[in-house]
Amino acid sequence: MRLADALHTQYQVIHALVIRETRTRYGASSLGYLWALLEPLFWVATFYGIFAYAHRHLPGGMDVAGFITTGIIPYMLFRSVLTQTMLAINTNKPLLFYPQVKPIDLAIARILLETFTLLSVFGLILAGRGLVLGVWSIDNVLLLLGGLLLSGLLGASVGLAMMGLGVIFNGTQRWVNIVLRPMFFLSGIFFTANELPATMREYLLWNPVLHGVELARDGLFQGYIAHYADAGYIVAWIIGFTYLGLLLERLSRRRMRLA
Amino acid sequence: MISLQHVSKAYPLHHRMRTVLDDISLDIPPRENIGILGRNGQGKSTLLRIIAGTEQPDSGSVTRSVRVSWPIGFSGGANPVLTGEENARFVSRIYGCDVQAVTARVLEFSELGEYFYAPVRTYSSGMKARLAFAMSMAIEFDTYLIDEVIAVGDQPFQEKCREALMGQNDRSSVIIVSHNLGTIRKFSEKCAVLLKGRLQMFDDLDEAAHVYKQAQ
Repeated sequence: MRLADALHTQYQVIHALVIRETRTRYGASSLGYLWALLEPLFWVATFYGIFAYAHRHLPGGMDVAGFITTGIIPYMLFRSVLTQTMLAINTNKPLLFYPQVKPIDLAIARILLETFTLLSVFGLILAGRGLVLGVWSIDNVLLLLGGLLLSGLLGASVGLAMMGLGVIFNGTQRWVNIVLRPMFFLSGIFFTANELPATMREYLLWNPVLHGVELARDGLFQGYIAHYADAGYIVAWIIGFTYLGLLLERLSRRRMRLA
Repeated sequence: MISLQHVSKAYPLHHRMRTVLDDISLDIPPRENIGILGRNGQGKSTLLRIIAGTEQPDSGSVTRSVRVSWPIGFSGGANPVLTGEENARFVSRIYGCDVQAVTARVLEFSELGEYFYAPVRTYSSGMKARLAFAMSMAIEFDTYLIDEVIAVGDQPFQEKCREALMGQNDRSSVIIVSHNLGTIRKFSEKCAVLLKGRLQMFDDLDEAAHVYKQAQ
């Protein structure tokens, strides 16, 4: 009974937070939710131009729009979910005065909103691509969704850990941003693991985000098989950081000074 | 009943831990008003946050069998981008209250009028305080935790707040912390004095006042 009560309260809190976050982030501008679409669309358009100019040849019968989308969206799922979660306490600290609101709720609300937003964006771009190119087939829906969701969960778990660490060490967020900057170039947005020289591939496959991108591409394109992607590898990262994140969240509850 | 058992809390200050609350035990029966008197920086607000559940004690435990408010007196988790109404809706959602009823009550009590539908960043500090107080009054708590809040807003609004709190006295109670005996006198007949992390209970306000003055 007490567990049921606790779960009900947590549901109420997270539900209220998601509504509040949506209003705060998208409600103030007249373009609203469209902003969420603009960034990925901008990237797709840019690389469309660059690839056409450079005569980039894509393996496995991939089209540029699909290739870039399956690169940029898993990357953004990782990166935006991470950043949003990491900053959850900084932005919403006054809310922690309400006793039933805990740091973990702030994090979960942001994870849900960001993941759902980017998945919708992915769906919309895919639909747009279908309308323009007439390509509607998805090779393996589960694999595609798996690649996307694992990338989001990876961002969520690292973000949670960094949120907790940020309470203990002030400069955490700045360092995370510096460390993550090269990820844009290392996560397979512009290349596939199959094309890489063996020595380089060995190193780049340490990056779990690359695995997420590879899984998504394998899922979307019939002609592409991600020989080197390993879902279990991403899951191991997620479990590790979630463990660390939950631990630090508990610690941060005690360390935080509200007044 | 709100019950504190051997509650202690320390904060780091200049790389050393400074004890703010030292082994405090306290039982507050339902519907009993109580005032906690203490100088600034003696841990009054910390004690109130621990009673609320906003903060956890380092050791000891707190049990509550009544519905306790958040510590009223901070200007609220009001998000400046959102309107007063949206903030009121948030609070009613996290307490599982009827959103329509709560927003109507906040609008009425806060006297914000048209501003209720404008972003909080356009409010004056007095208006923010009115919104915050109205939000806490719109939710039915058994015990209201008050942190010297009565000093907010203009004179008529202060009176209104006090009347609202006292008017609910038959079904709810007030725990108020203040450095001012006069403020406490308006609410409660019992008083505790917080001195150097220890809490001393008095049934008589004048006796409490005497001890408090001696310590200064």
